[in-house]
Amino acid sequence: MSKIVQITDENFEEEVLNSDLPTEVDFWAPWCGPCQMVIPIYEKLSEEYEGRFKFCMINVDENQRTAVKYQIMSIPMQKYFANGENVDEILGAVPEQTIRAMVEDILKRFPADETGRLKVLLTSWVEHNQKHAEKFNKWVEKSNNLEDNPIYNSVLQAAQELKKANEQLSQVLMQLPG
Amino acid sequence: MARYDVITIGGGPAGLTAGLYTSRAGLKSLLLERGALGGQMVNAMLVENYPGFPEGIAGSELGSLMHQQAVRYGLEVATAEAIDISQEQPCYSISTTEGSLEASAVIIAAGSEYRKLEVTGEERLSGHGVSYCATCDGFFFRNREVAVVGGGDTAITDALELSQHASKVYVIHRRDQLRAGKALQERAFAHPKLEFIWDTVVEEVSGDKVLEELKLRHVKTGQQSNLKVNGVFVAVGLMPNSRSFFNILELDDFGYIVTDEMMATSAPGIFAAGDIRRNSPRQIAAAVGDGVAAAMSAFKYIQEQGNGAKLRSP
Repeated sequence: MSKIVQITDENFEEEVLNSDLPTEVDFWAPWCGPCQMVIPIYEKLSEEYEGRFKFCMINVDENQRTAVKYQIMSIPMQKYFANGENVDEILGAVPEQTIRAMVEDILKRFPADETGRLKVLLTSWVEHNQKHAEKFNKWVEKSNNLEDNPIYNSVLQAAQELKKANEQLSQVLMQLPG
Repeated sequence: MARYDVITIGGGPAGLTAGLYTSRAGLKSLLLERGALGGQMVNAMLVENYPGFPEGIAGSELGSLMHQQAVRYGLEVATAEAIDISQEQPCYSISTTEGSLEASAVIIAAGSEYRKLEVTGEERLSGHGVSYCATCDGFFFRNREVAVVGGGDTAITDALELSQHASKVYVIHRRDQLRAGKALQERAFAHPKLEFIWDTVVEEVSGDKVLEELKLRHVKTGQQSNLKVNGVFVAVGLMPNSRSFFNILELDDFGYIVTDEMMATSAPGIFAAGDIRRNSPRQIAAAVGDGVAAAMSAFKYIQEQGNGAKLRSP
């Protein structure tokens, strides 16, 4: 049984923007042929991802307010929402594996549970620090007479502290379940 | 490496019919489709010229029925795009986005796709004001101004269809007269919402999140100008999806695969069917006929090679 939720202008906010789960909205119309070709894929995925990902459909003919709000100019258009924001989209009738990859990607980027969200936060934090450390190292390589430079010495000290802190963050990250 | 008797590339009417016939003939058959099954006919709201459906049938429904029928006899269908094809005696090796496959015979039914303008901004704004299908997307331009690029039957049909929604339709054509049929031309010239911009090409499409403006150039004077529109519909013809096969098959000047009347190409064991074939009438019924001929030729080829499974007549 398909678990696709039918969306209207009236319930869009409640069902999509306030949804606890990451949500896909398929903008479609009865006169759109390619739209009919992807509906069975969404029906299948809606069963498979039940409780983890929400799949919705909105008929643009009958719900023009939402279609205009999201500047829909071509269908099928599938918009992906997480935490009330439109975070990604797929245009056109695409194969199942493309949709599946998007759903998995969104689940990774926007996990529903607290630990999952902390993990995403820590991962980007650690990566961010690493990137800046690399940039700093590159700067060091290209610079001359650094030993005598007092500013360099204080930055180096701070960088070493940051490196330690980053290693601690990485360890926490590795200990997180999942 | 997975080995098949016949691999058909493309899941439109030609490919689905070829797959139906090869699988019914007892050949181990696989069909590759890179997008959604059904091919270009899924864009047709109502197909009124395919025999057997006196009231007409939605293109998407016809595609879905053809798919159901084709897989009934054991045809496997996979989502993958063929990238290259090479001969490795005694069979062909097809490299795809999902890995390599082998087949004794190959049927190419990859069809054609809309030709693009190939200008800056086109890809980024595709689906956000740039469209290749007036029937699909015209609805979203109610009381707005749009442009159609092209001067053939498709462009003029699109312009007339768009005039039902849009407040104004510009037709931008690179020549000073249309290629479209006389009757269409007369209707177009008489239509109050249509305005023609002659001898002009689009050089750039621009806009922040959605299309806002076209940059135009007059081909004779070289003069540039801007045109503010909400939508642009590109109708500059079709392009065969034959890029992956050009190194192994004879193509005509436009990239269509050259075949004989039994769909044989210049490479023994490779057959072509449907829109991708030179001189194809580009009709669903014709594609279906091509699919049948290609499947029968593939069957005969495998029989002569003596490397097919237990064969029964198709």
